[in-house]
Amino acid sequence: MAAKKIGVYICHCGVNIAATVDIEELKRFAATLPRVKSVQNYMYVCSDPGQELIRKDIKEKGLNRIVVAACSPRMHEPTFRNVLKSAGLNPYCLEITNIREQCSWVHHDRHTATEKAKGLLAASVAKAALLEPLEEHEVGVTPTAMVIGGGIAGIQAALDIADTGFKVYLVEKEASIGGHMMQLDKTFPTLDCSACILTPKMADVKNHPNIELLAYSEVIEVKGFVGNFKVTVKKKPRYVIESICNACGQCSPYCPIEIDDAFNERLAKTKALYIPFPQAIPATYVIDPQSCRYLRDKSCRQCEQVCKELQAINLDQKEELVELDIGTIIVATGFDIFDPRQKPELGYGKYENVITGLEFERLVSASGPNQGDIKINGKKPKDVVFVQCVGSRDQTVGNEYCSRVCCMYTAKHAHLVREKLPDAHITIFYIDIRAFGKGFEQFYDRVRGERVYYRRGNVSEIYKKGDKLMVRAEDTLMGKAVEVAADLVVLAVGMEPSKSAKELGKILKLSNSPDKFFLEAHPKLRPVDTGSDGVFLAGCCQGPKDIPDTVAQASAAAAKAVIPLAHGTVKTEAMVSVVQAEACRGCGFCVEACPYAAITLEEKKVRGKKKIVATVNEVLCKSCGACAASCLSGAIQQKSFTDEQILSMIAVIGKKY
Amino acid sequence: MDFEPTIVAFLCNWCSYAGADLAGTSRFQYPANIRVIRVMCSSRINPLFILNALLEGADGVLVSG
Repeated sequence: MAAKKIGVYICHCGVNIAATVDIEELKRFAATLPRVKSVQNYMYVCSDPGQELIRKDIKEKGLNRIVVAACSPRMHEPTFRNVLKSAGLNPYCLEITNIREQCSWVHHDRHTATEKAKGLLAASVAKAALLEPLEEHEVGVTPTAMVIGGGIAGIQAALDIADTGFKVYLVEKEASIGGHMMQLDKTFPTLDCSACILTPKMADVKNHPNIELLAYSEVIEVKGFVGNFKVTVKKKPRYVIESICNACGQCSPYCPIEIDDAFNERLAKTKALYIPFPQAIPATYVIDPQSCRYLRDKSCRQCEQVCKELQAINLDQKEELVELDIGTIIVATGFDIFDPRQKPELGYGKYENVITGLEFERLVSASGPNQGDIKINGKKPKDVVFVQCVGSRDQTVGNEYCSRVCCMYTAKHAHLVREKLPDAHITIFYIDIRAFGKGFEQFYDRVRGERVYYRRGNVSEIYKKGDKLMVRAEDTLMGKAVEVAADLVVLAVGMEPSKSAKELGKILKLSNSPDKFFLEAHPKLRPVDTGSDGVFLAGCCQGPKDIPDTVAQASAAAAKAVIPLAHGTVKTEAMVSVVQAEACRGCGFCVEACPYAAITLEEKKVRGKKKIVATVNEVLCKSCGACAASCLSGAIQQKSFTDEQILSMIAVIGKKY
Repeated sequence: MDFEPTIVAFLCNWCSYAGADLAGTSRFQYPANIRVIRVMCSSRINPLFILNALLEGADGVLVSG
């Protein structure tokens, strides 16, 4: 074994590190550490000239272990591994000392921060001397993607992946794809008709040879790892056979049960045997199992009689489990709107003329229950009040974030009211107006010029007075309490993560940010990746977004999801556990400790004798090291995190230097 | 009164270590007495590590994962 020659590279990170940690002192200290043959500092070690310093030293000074004291290894470990690789050194001969996130950024005092940096650096150098080169293995990739969620994000992602030539499964929990965008009337700021821009894409999904749509289905289990997921999808029974039903619609009028029309936000009724909306994809009816008379007490089979010829109705349909081999997964589970009943002072659920923004969309839509006439109880409202930030920027309901769409959709709503009710009085109560997107400010200006009265203030109460609603608020510009009469109040409800996605998050081991939306791998540089390799995010499941941002993110997620598929192989974890067969006593503690079932006991010949030894499946091993901690004889070790390596760090990290 | 403890912390790469990074990104200030050793999972922590840290002079050990 060649002697260890260690190079230490200290990054200033501009002033991020250098302002707090004394670089010269750290450099002097590093040179005193055992086996350190070269110490250099540089303004930005991660930049190309910084990387070149390391490469040059490796070649010229024959360094074989590298320590970089810079930002977190979670940030640039891959970057520096590639540097080692390009200089002909094994990429695992690298140790990173985190002197930014966990030192200079969290301590003000230069002396104590420098002392801490010394301890951390000493530990890294000690470990580096014991690092061994590791081999990376490659395994094949199933050239198929899955997109979970069939709103605009999922539709866009599925279409983009399919266009690259790879097969994609699109899983949607509802009876039709389309999501919330399908419920919208016009879209801000361009006033495009939502259905006109969405339904062609839905048809594309249906017709694309590379897309297989699994509607009315849910992902219930995901096993495996990037490139080789095994996904179990539950296909819920529609009680209507998708391949036979031609959506003629003759059956529905004969169904005796009326239910709330979810697509129309319960402003209308539909039948228990229904199609969510006429342009639904798949164009197949569905039976609501909670209300269908046959499915409740077997007392009615009228629909079967109507569909006698085609026989598309099967009231005995059972749920079906499908297991699919998948390479990469995109999560596009969208959002739920905030339930304004959590703010009882606003009177939602109490007064029928207090409605949500989404209900207003259905009310004003030509395909809605009123054919687009803005009427409440058959009467056109004269005074319309909009309330912004309902369930957003509101600590009392636990939602501190801005939902990013409500300012603009309210401006659009006001515009639509003005278009349809030229004489109406329109008031908008707002906290701040956020018109940040392309064309937003111009649209906001336009709406302000349409006799729409913007009043800055938070609404405190809505109550009934005669046949009017009174909206009480503090006008913070006037500095006084005001009351505005209304015939219709529209609450600009914000977005919350989809409740049904919570379980999926657990299945895919996704993290959540404090706002409860799914957490991206890095807020700036890996905005569509997640902590789970091969799983990507698109749309509002990651945070509130408007349609343009959602579509852009969906295309980004699609591009990312295609990379492993196009590459054809993925690298397996190199820091896997390894068993020293001579020392293993075959007790099986590690088998029990392993959460990934990666270890089995097998009979092997060790030094000519048969014995039972633990054996690690390197493809399944996720390098947690639980086995190593459970082993009583020290026979199983996690590469790059061996007992010896960790103990070497412990010996020096807390010392005073 | 001058006692400044040294605390050796073993943090899981995926949660607590990432959390410590987030504290840095958010510029939360805390005392510099802590020295972090990153592991890929808190299940990697062998009781031997904790005892060794104390034997090497640590005044406290934090395991978080």
